Amino acid sequence: MDYDVLVVGGGTAGMESALTLGDMGYSVVLAEKEPTIGGKMILLSKVFPTLDCASCIATPKMASTFHHPQVTTMVCTEVGNIGKTPRGTFQAQLNRKATYINFDQCTGCQKCEQACTVAVPDQFNFDMVARRAVYIPFAQAVPKKAVVERHGTSPCSQACPAGVKAHGYVSLIRSGMFDEAQELILEAVPFPGTLGRVCYAPCERACTRGELEGALPIRKLKRFAADRYYQKHPQPKPGSAEKKHQERVAVVGSGPAGLTAAYHLARLGYPVTVFEAQEKPGGMLRLIPPFRLPPKVLERDIANVTARGVEIRTGERVEDPAELRKKGFQAVFVASGTPRDKQPEIEGVDLKGVTGAVQFLRLAASGTKPSLAGKTVLVAGGGRYVIALDCARTARRLGAKRVVVQFRRSREEMSSVEWAITDAVEEGVTIQFLKAPARLVGADGKLARVESLDVQPGKRDVSGRTLPGVPGGTTGSMEADLAIMAVDQEADPGKGREDLRITISKTLAVDARTLETCLPGVFAGGDVVSGPSSVVEAIGTGTRAAECIHRFLRGKQRIPEEVGLNLPAVDKQTVLGRQDQYTPAPPGGRSKLLVEERRGGFNEVELGFDEKTARENAARCIDCGGCCECHQCISACPADAIDFGMRDENQTLEVGSVVVSTGFDLFDPVGKVQYGYGRFPNVITAMQMDRLLSPTRPYNTVLRPGDGKMPDNIAYILCTGSRDCQVDNPLCSRVCCMYTIKQAQLLMGALPLADVTIYFIDVRAFGKGFEEFYQQSKAMGVEFVKGKVGRVEPADDGNLTLHYEDIAGGGKLAQTEHDLVVLSVGLLPNQDALALFAGGELASDAHHYVKEVDEDHSPARTSIEGVYVAGSAAAAMDIPDTILHSGAAAALAAAHVEKVKR
Amino acid sequence: MDDRLRDPREVMREEMLMRDLVLATLREGPRTVPEIAEAMGSPVHEVMYWVMAARKYGFIEDVKEPEDDYFQYALVEKK
Repeated sequence: MDYDVLVVGGGTAGMESALTLGDMGYSVVLAEKEPTIGGKMILLSKVFPTLDCASCIATPKMASTFHHPQVTTMVCTEVGNIGKTPRGTFQAQLNRKATYINFDQCTGCQKCEQACTVAVPDQFNFDMVARRAVYIPFAQAVPKKAVVERHGTSPCSQACPAGVKAHGYVSLIRSGMFDEAQELILEAVPFPGTLGRVCYAPCERACTRGELEGALPIRKLKRFAADRYYQKHPQPKPGSAEKKHQERVAVVGSGPAGLTAAYHLARLGYPVTVFEAQEKPGGMLRLIPPFRLPPKVLERDIANVTARGVEIRTGERVEDPAELRKKGFQAVFVASGTPRDKQPEIEGVDLKGVTGAVQFLRLAASGTKPSLAGKTVLVAGGGRYVIALDCARTARRLGAKRVVVQFRRSREEMSSVEWAITDAVEEGVTIQFLKAPARLVGADGKLARVESLDVQPGKRDVSGRTLPGVPGGTTGSMEADLAIMAVDQEADPGKGREDLRITISKTLAVDARTLETCLPGVFAGGDVVSGPSSVVEAIGTGTRAAECIHRFLRGKQRIPEEVGLNLPAVDKQTVLGRQDQYTPAPPGGRSKLLVEERRGGFNEVELGFDEKTARENAARCIDCGGCCECHQCISACPADAIDFGMRDENQTLEVGSVVVSTGFDLFDPVGKVQYGYGRFPNVITAMQMDRLLSPTRPYNTVLRPGDGKMPDNIAYILCTGSRDCQVDNPLCSRVCCMYTIKQAQLLMGALPLADVTIYFIDVRAFGKGFEEFYQQSKAMGVEFVKGKVGRVEPADDGNLTLHYEDIAGGGKLAQTEHDLVVLSVGLLPNQDALALFAGGELASDAHHYVKEVDEDHSPARTSIEGVYVAGSAAAAMDIPDTILHSGAAAALAAAHVEKVKR
Repeated sequence: MDDRLRDPREVMREEMLMRDLVLATLREGPRTVPEIAEAMGSPVHEVMYWVMAARKYGFIEDVKEPEDDYFQYALVEKK
């Protein structure tokens, strides 16, 4: 056996059972699902009828339990699937939830909590105030350690191929921490300004808010962070000049993949040299027109790379990457992209006046922009939709009088680039869908006319993607001065790459796991391997390549783990289910230059956010994953205790006996619609009032949640959710009368001028000292009204009118106004206990509490021999009864352990 | 008609946006929760969440004696 006894639940009953058994010398494992033991008692103000301080009683008991040499306390631990072994012991499966905090290092200083940017309701204050996603439950928590609430990776962050923590920077922007947002993005990529403009934003497609009124503008929020930071910091902060490693790394190509790999390798401490054949670095990014990506933004992004000490040699074409190894580079990363146009196999492509998209955009980006004044231009858009539209829009800006784009697909099939289609149409570009050039007709060797075919809508492939249609029979013709073929691109084969393996698609072949080519030490990635892809995918490959090369150079296991520390994406429906309702919050802010402002110039079309708009948009985030991974806690923690690499651990234990002490649930008064809970802010539960009266209260004193007023006329409604067949709970909860009287007495102390009225059916003061306690409250001035409250309605100034049957007054209907209404909610069974055992063997009573099979002679004995129930898992009971019951359960468990051991 | 209050989770999420507005209001001097709400143009019961969170995390504090049953809150002086 691993332990003599497993105690499930660390509230009053669980602690008492564990301590009793521990004191008898038995080894005990106490499993608690919350991050602290203490149950509900530690959250109370005082106990009845003695009015002793609940914290003063519970805290020493919590500490004794946690530090008891015979008791092992496991918090954040869920128990399930308990089964009996043939020899009478039990096997239990424990799921120890990752806390993402190293408890040995955490000092409980709460600096992580102060730094956290995600606010969620504090369940230990019954939602009356917020806590943070990283939190210590309360001041007296045992253990007093922080935990991170992390449900999974947020879908936006999970969707980013470059590993950018989208949720993190959105949360930082929401908090007004703009520099920190940019710095978080820079942890993953050197191109925030570029991605903030040209990324296809898979994060937005994954955004859960998209299931409501529309996704967050995550890409534009990234742009906002970058633009603001670049305005403030025209030049990057210089990186550390210290190079931790001596091995030199060469990168061939300065596109997004190459520069990202160089950036991360330089951050890891390697001297890196980038070779670029063109005159300026940036690769295909240089060809994105200025109206979408201003060159100064790209320059500033590239400066993030050079600031890390990366040397970029432009105008140096590398024919044979393997040669670089011989020149002293210990590793080479080939990221030379797909810089060549792939011309379609149609008649007339060799005519003068026919060009490729890359060639056209390169010319347009050069110092000698061609004039297309008065010309007619046809753009054939194959698979490169956005590039085709870039060509068309550029042609319009260069003076073309008519620009026609032909796509082989329907507009519906191109919804991912609807924004670009809209922009182009606004700028006067004609777009023909389901059409393709069939023949380019020349005159005197120069393009004169384009003949086209209608295309039939295509079929879908196995992934559901529509295949390009098959040309049909209808022909059309248009005169044209220039035809731009934006059909496809391919890698430059180079002259010295014979040693590298080339695929049938003319891309480089690599090991998909390590990105290594057939030549040791020569790696490749980005478009030269995958074929034309998106900027963000190329950046992601660059990040992965840096990790692979680092492992190669350090002699580590060559296959890297997944980049980043992502958990599985959190389920969107689960996220949406956290709230009953969502207030619509559509995205706002003017987004584009007016059409007339765009004419004749290359000014950027899309506009950025101002601070207010950015923060308001960011505030629409619903924090899917809980923790947003903004990493502020990591920066703030002086003990280096945060560990996002931590994962849940499953453990199977064999124990001699089990004590079930899973406690009770409280009735949710939302079900009693007539009392207005959840509709009127000044209707609260008695548990919430206990928090307001406690020394660790959420407010500075007892205040109305509706407006912060000190109440002076408080009403209690007894038996809310107990003795009530309408809510299927006919039982008396045994404690409500007394805790209400306790609170009334405490309120008279806290608010000496306040009136307290208790509406009751009958007061049950059955325990030792209870009747005296009741009479004492009457003597103090607490008013008791025998009458059932029918409904609560709002009155002026946040007050509430109670409509009730005045039984003592002859049964007439009456009404009274109060400024705060407290619902004395009943106790309900915690039915989680019944699911602990494999096969559902643990029997319940008629009211769904754990059944005591011999309540009169052997309380705490359950339907399973060796399993005992302690405290309010068996029935509603007060604290003294819970202590007694737990002693009985402990004694029976000890007896069973002795029997099993024999 | 659905007359439920906004879900506390939704209101609390906005704290990080609203905190600066609460603090900006208090730069003009101590205010009660209804006064802060009026200045912000937000429902007073929602402002209560943001004010109490700002108090919990040490940005503001209550001014000692309440007037007309309402406490005033003031910025915490940064040392």
